[in-house]
Amino acid sequence: MRTIIALVFVFVFSSCAFAQTVEERLQELEKTMKKQEQTIQELKTLQKTVKQQEQTISEQRRLIEILSAKVQKPQPPAAPPAATAVETASAEQVQQEVEELKEQVGSVAQAQKKQILSVFNPAIGLVGETVFSYSGKGSKATGSDRPGGWDVNQRSVELNLAATIDPFAKGYAVINASADPITGEATASVEEAALQTTSLPCNLELKAGRFFGEFGRLAYIHDHELPFVNRPLVLDQYIGGESRTDGAQLNWLLPTEHYYSLTVGVGDGFGSVPNDVGDFNNGNFRNFGGLSFFGRGSTSFDLTPDLSLEPGISGLANPNTLDRGGVLALPNNTPVTLPEFPGSTLALRERSLEGVDLTLSWKPLRNNQFNSIIWGTELLHSGNRYDVMPTPGGALFSPFSRDVDSYGMYSYIVYKWSREWSAGFLFDGLEDAANNANRTFAYSPFITWTISHWNQLRLQYTHTDHNTESGLRPDDAVYLQWDWIIGSHSHGWQQR
Amino acid sequence: MKLKLIYLLSIVTIAGVLLCGEPIPAHAAKIKVVTTLTDLADLTREVGGDLVEVHSLATGIEDTHGVPMKPSFVPIMNKADLLVLVGFDCEHAFLPALLEASKNPRILLGKPGYIDASIGIVPKDVPKSTDHYQGDVHPYGNPHYMLDPVLAKTAIGNIYKALVEFAPQHQAEFTRNRDAYLARLDAKIAEWKKDLLPIKGVKFVSYHEHWPYFAERFGLVYFGTIELKPGIDPTPRHIEELIASMKAEHVQIVLREPQFPEKVPSRIAEQTGATLVTLPIMPGGIPNTETYIKMMDAIVQTMVATVQARK
Repeated sequence: MRTIIALVFVFVFSSCAFAQTVEERLQELEKTMKKQEQTIQELKTLQKTVKQQEQTISEQRRLIEILSAKVQKPQPPAAPPAATAVETASAEQVQQEVEELKEQVGSVAQAQKKQILSVFNPAIGLVGETVFSYSGKGSKATGSDRPGGWDVNQRSVELNLAATIDPFAKGYAVINASADPITGEATASVEEAALQTTSLPCNLELKAGRFFGEFGRLAYIHDHELPFVNRPLVLDQYIGGESRTDGAQLNWLLPTEHYYSLTVGVGDGFGSVPNDVGDFNNGNFRNFGGLSFFGRGSTSFDLTPDLSLEPGISGLANPNTLDRGGVLALPNNTPVTLPEFPGSTLALRERSLEGVDLTLSWKPLRNNQFNSIIWGTELLHSGNRYDVMPTPGGALFSPFSRDVDSYGMYSYIVYKWSREWSAGFLFDGLEDAANNANRTFAYSPFITWTISHWNQLRLQYTHTDHNTESGLRPDDAVYLQWDWIIGSHSHGWQQR
Repeated sequence: MKLKLIYLLSIVTIAGVLLCGEPIPAHAAKIKVVTTLTDLADLTREVGGDLVEVHSLATGIEDTHGVPMKPSFVPIMNKADLLVLVGFDCEHAFLPALLEASKNPRILLGKPGYIDASIGIVPKDVPKSTDHYQGDVHPYGNPHYMLDPVLAKTAIGNIYKALVEFAPQHQAEFTRNRDAYLARLDAKIAEWKKDLLPIKGVKFVSYHEHWPYFAERFGLVYFGTIELKPGIDPTPRHIEELIASMKAEHVQIVLREPQFPEKVPSRIAEQTGATLVTLPIMPGGIPNTETYIKMMDAIVQTMVATVQARK
C-alpha cells in the first residue's frame, strides 16, 4: 500500500510538471531565448568595454613612459634662476602625477584579476561557538554528556557553503566539527548537504540530500542560532538533537490569499534515532516502513501590523525502528532500564511524534531592530514501542513489548530592548520517552549581548529539578556562550 | 493510527496538487507589482496608472534594512508579475528569504520579473573592502540613492522599461504617465534646488548613512553619522568625538530618521547646540508624506526652515 502511495506521489508531481499548456511553454521559451540573446549582446558590449579599458591602460602606460622620459631629461644650461625653479617644480609635480597614475593603473589591473578569480566561488561563511560552563554536579548525577564542574566546549566550528547550481536549483552544505566529550578532539562531519529546487511549478519546492527536516519550530535550527544556549530538553530527547535526516522533503505553498505551508518528507533516520538498520551484508531487505515519515503544516496571522501569530502542527512516524545493534542508553552511556525490572534493557522498535507549536511575535514596524517580544511554545507527544529484555544477573522475565506515551514541552519568551541587548526565560518539562513516570523540569533565565551582527555573547543559568524516578539531578549550571561569524551570512526564512 | 495519518496527508496533498489549477494568464486584470519600499511603490503607481496593482512590503516607517519577513508577504509575492527593488544589496536582510519562501520563479534574480531600480546608477561610497571591521557595509556602494530625485528618475526609467517589456500593448499609456510624472518631478527638482540654495554648505549629521546623495545633489555637507559604523550603535567614545568635531565645524543639524531611537541624537543636539530634526527616508515615514514628491517637499521645507530659524 505504501509503495502504491509513493508511486502515486511520483506520478502526480511529475504530471504537475507538465501542467502548463504547450502554448504557454512555447511563449516562455521564446521569452527566455530573447532574454538570452539580450544577455549575449550585453556580454559582447562588456567584452568591448573591457577591450577599451585595456586600450586605455596601454595608452596610460605609454603616457607614463613619455612623462618619465621628460622628467629624466637634463636641465637646459644658462636658464634664468626663476625659470629653473618653475621647471623643477613642474618636473616634481609631473613625477608625482606619474607615480599616482602608476598606482591607479596597477590597482585597476589587480581589481580585474581579483574579480575573475573569485567569480565562481560559492558564498562561504564560518561560525564558531564556544560554551564555557560550570555545573554543580558530575555527569553521572545529571545524565549529561559533558563533564560536571568547570567545562569549555567548542560546540561548533561550522563551515557553510552555498551557491546556485543552475537556473533550477541551488545547493548548500554545512560541515561541522565539534569537540568529542571524551577525547576533546574535533570530529568533522557533514551536518547538511542538500539540493533545493527554485523553479518547480505549482508552488512546490523539493529539498533532497542531508538536511534538517522541517518539524516544529526549533528542531531544524542550528544550535548557535537558537534563542538560548541549549536545545530544549524535549527536542534533545524526543528527536535527538537537530532533526537531521538523509532524504527528501517537499514543501507546498497553498495557492490561497492566506499563508499556508505544508511540508511532507521521508528519510533514513530522523534526529539521532536511526532507522531499521539490520545487517545488510546478509541480504537484509528494508521495507518502506523502515523509513521515517515526517511533515508539518503551518500558517500565520497578522493580528496587528506589529503583532503576528504563527501556529503549526508536526508529525513523525517511523514504523520500524531498530537501534544500531544495542540497547538504548543515556548520553553518559548508562543503560536505560525499567525500575520495576532491575537490569532490564530497552530497544526501540517503533516511533512516532506529534507536536503543536505556537509563536507570538511583537515587532513594532518603526523600530523592530531595537524592540521586540517573542513568545514561543511547543508541545510534543511521543508514542514509542520498546522491546524490554532481561540481562544475565538481572530480573528474570520473558521479553515483552511496551508502548509508552510521553508528553513534553518547552516555552520561552525573549524581550529585546535595544539593538544590542535582549533577555529571556526558557521553561522545559518532559516525561522520558522510555518511561513516562520519569519527569524532568528545568528553568533557564538568560541575557544576550549582540555586540554586532556577527558577534554575540549569552549568559544563561539553568536549574534542573530533582528527578525522583531516575534519581538524576537536581543541578544548577551557568553557561557563557560565544558565537561569531566570518565571511558570508544570510538571513534564512527560519530566522524571521 | 499512524498509517491513517500518512494516508490522510497523502490524500490532502494529492488533492491540493490536482486543484493547483491552470497557471494564471500573464496579462489577466492588472499587472501585479510588488516593491520592497514605498518610494518605488509610488513611482510604479505613477508610471503604471490604472494598469498596475502595487503592493509595497514596507509601509514607510521601517528601517530600509529591517523590513520584517512576514509570512503574510509570501502569498502576495507568490502572485506577483514583477518585483521592484532598490538594489545595491539594500534589501539583503529580508528579500532573499522572502523570495525563497514565495516560490515565484518569475521574480527571481535574472528573470524578467526581477527589476533592479539601480541599473544605470553609479553608486557612491563603494567600499575598498567588505571586511566586517567596516561594519555592515554595502558591498556595492551606498544604496540610498532614492533621496536624490535626479537619480530617482533613473529608477523611474527602469520601472518604465520593465512595464513596457511586460505589457508592450500598453506602451503608449506608460509613456504618457511617465512623461507627465517626469515633467512634474523636474519642476519640483528646480523648485527644491532654488529653495535649498540659500542653505548651501550647511553641515549636518544623521543616525545612519542615508543622506550622501541628497547632500551632494543640493550642495549640503554630510558631516558624518551617529552610528559608529553601519549597523553598529555608537560607543560613548564615538559620541564624544562626534560632539567635539561637530562643535569645531559648526554643524547645525542633527537629522534623526524616525526608525532610530531619539535619546542619543537628542543628547548630541543638546551638547553641540545643533537643531534636532526628524525626517523620513521613505514616503509614509512621517505623517503627510504619502508620496515621493510630498516626502521630498517635507525634507526640503524642514531643512530650510530649521536653518532659517537658527539665524
